[in-house]
Amino acid sequence: MAMQALTRCNAGQATAGRNDMAVLTVKDLRVRYSAKGPEILKGIDFEVEDDDFLAIIGPSGAGKSTLIRCVNRLVEPSGGSIHLLGEDVCSLNARALRGLRRNVGMIFQEFNLINRMSVMDNVLSGRLGYTGNIRSLFRAFPRKDVEQALYYLDRVGLSDHINKRADELSGGQRQRVGIARALMQAPKLLLLDEPTSALDPKISREVMALIRDIALELKVPALCNIHDVQLAKEFCNRIIGLQDGYKKFDGATDTLRDSDLDDIYAMEVL
Amino acid sequence: MTEQMPAPRPSDPPKWSRYQYPESLIKHGTLLAVLLFLGYSLHFLNVDIGLLIGALGRFAGVISERYYPPDLEYVLDRGYLEAILDTLQMSFLGGFAGVCLAIPLAWFSAWNVTPSRRLFFPIGRLGVISCRAIHETIWTILFVSVLGFGMLAGVSALTMFCIGFAGKLFSDEIEAIDMGPAEAMRAVGANPFQVFLFAVVPQVRVAFTGIAIYTWDVAFRAATVVGFFGGGGMGWYLKRNVQQLENLRVAAIILSIIAMVLVAEFLSGWLRATVNRAK
Repeated sequence: MAMQALTRCNAGQATAGRNDMAVLTVKDLRVRYSAKGPEILKGIDFEVEDDDFLAIIGPSGAGKSTLIRCVNRLVEPSGGSIHLLGEDVCSLNARALRGLRRNVGMIFQEFNLINRMSVMDNVLSGRLGYTGNIRSLFRAFPRKDVEQALYYLDRVGLSDHINKRADELSGGQRQRVGIARALMQAPKLLLLDEPTSALDPKISREVMALIRDIALELKVPALCNIHDVQLAKEFCNRIIGLQDGYKKFDGATDTLRDSDLDDIYAMEVL
Repeated sequence: MTEQMPAPRPSDPPKWSRYQYPESLIKHGTLLAVLLFLGYSLHFLNVDIGLLIGALGRFAGVISERYYPPDLEYVLDRGYLEAILDTLQMSFLGGFAGVCLAIPLAWFSAWNVTPSRRLFFPIGRLGVISCRAIHETIWTILFVSVLGFGMLAGVSALTMFCIGFAGKLFSDEIEAIDMGPAEAMRAVGANPFQVFLFAVVPQVRVAFTGIAIYTWDVAFRAATVVGFFGGGGMGWYLKRNVQQLENLRVAAIILSIIAMVLVAEFLSGWLRATVNRAK
């Protein structure tokens, strides 16, 4: 069973082996949260090419969120290597890490907006990586950033809500603010951590379509955690299946068969 | 999964108790230890319960004999009214300076968003703890010996007191924030100061305002005592009259302190309620 999965993984990688430079290369990634705790990720390898919209699927607790947070080191990996945009993520010091993080837009399950700030301020906060301390203190963002924010707010359809407080918006609208904030970073990679699981099915579809369209438009690759397999099949060109810290599947969306899904979502029988 | 769950035997009814063996021992043992220590302390200090109860009656007697009627004219005198104003200003200045200094210290000493867990966290914790460890009267004595009698020593002592008081409450408040926005700000590449500005401050702003008002209220109460030890203001008048055995004036001063503290408490309660409503 395990061997089968392994050979299929290799086959998947072989078919996905295109020649363009990988934006993100992850090798043998291992994570444990405490020295004696269980290993959450047990040696994950994958690559993200510059035209990928890659989905990570898997049951709850498989390590999807941990995996995605390792990419910008919100979670510290305990082993393996991550190369992002030509830099070795694990060896960066705090300042260099901030420099790298501002190139990586992140969208969260619970939106993680600043509720007591206006929509505009939330979107502008995406520019903090490029903004000095004094300007941050007075929220005096350059005019160029403000114009950019207005453009993206229009793009995600929130032009009428610019001065509202973030907590006055509906779930779908809040996630749109999150998207605009990530885009403000001029990202070279998008990390999406369950962007739709706090939303209803119809809005989920709209939000996913919006993210995909923008990613295509800006030519930004995306790495997307998602537990809804249907959405993954619909919007992503490649799928990685995780189960209990192991990679069980890696291949183009149309090569994902029902037996693979059974394998990924198989319950461990103890 | 071929095994089946063993069926419960009828002779063996399921048992359940809230506290299992080690927890029950710890719980009851702790209670017993506390009671034993209480009894030991009463015995050791030789507290005479009868005398204590009788004291209440004598208390009323002493007050009616020596402290009645309070010399209200004295506290309505211009000099004393100015001293009340002094105390008010002292508490305001001390509270303001203390709160301003407490905010960065609280940021340093909040484990979740401290700029550096190795360097700034110990500095912040040590700063807040050392301000708290020394009582405001002792701060006054220290500052009086350095700066001499008067308002400056009093304000300095109150500042130290307020740093300790507000710093602790502030950092507790910061540690209770929702870390989601902080994570988002870290992900956009914000530095720790920017994370504090954008993810922490909006979440604690209202609570901080309430705490700052409460700090002023407590500082006002402390200011009366600080004066007693040489910091100026109402407490200074109190000390002078106690030493001169002007009991009727002392009574009036104590009454005025109680009145002012009540006013401050009422005012701070009302302000805090207003701030909370504005959330």
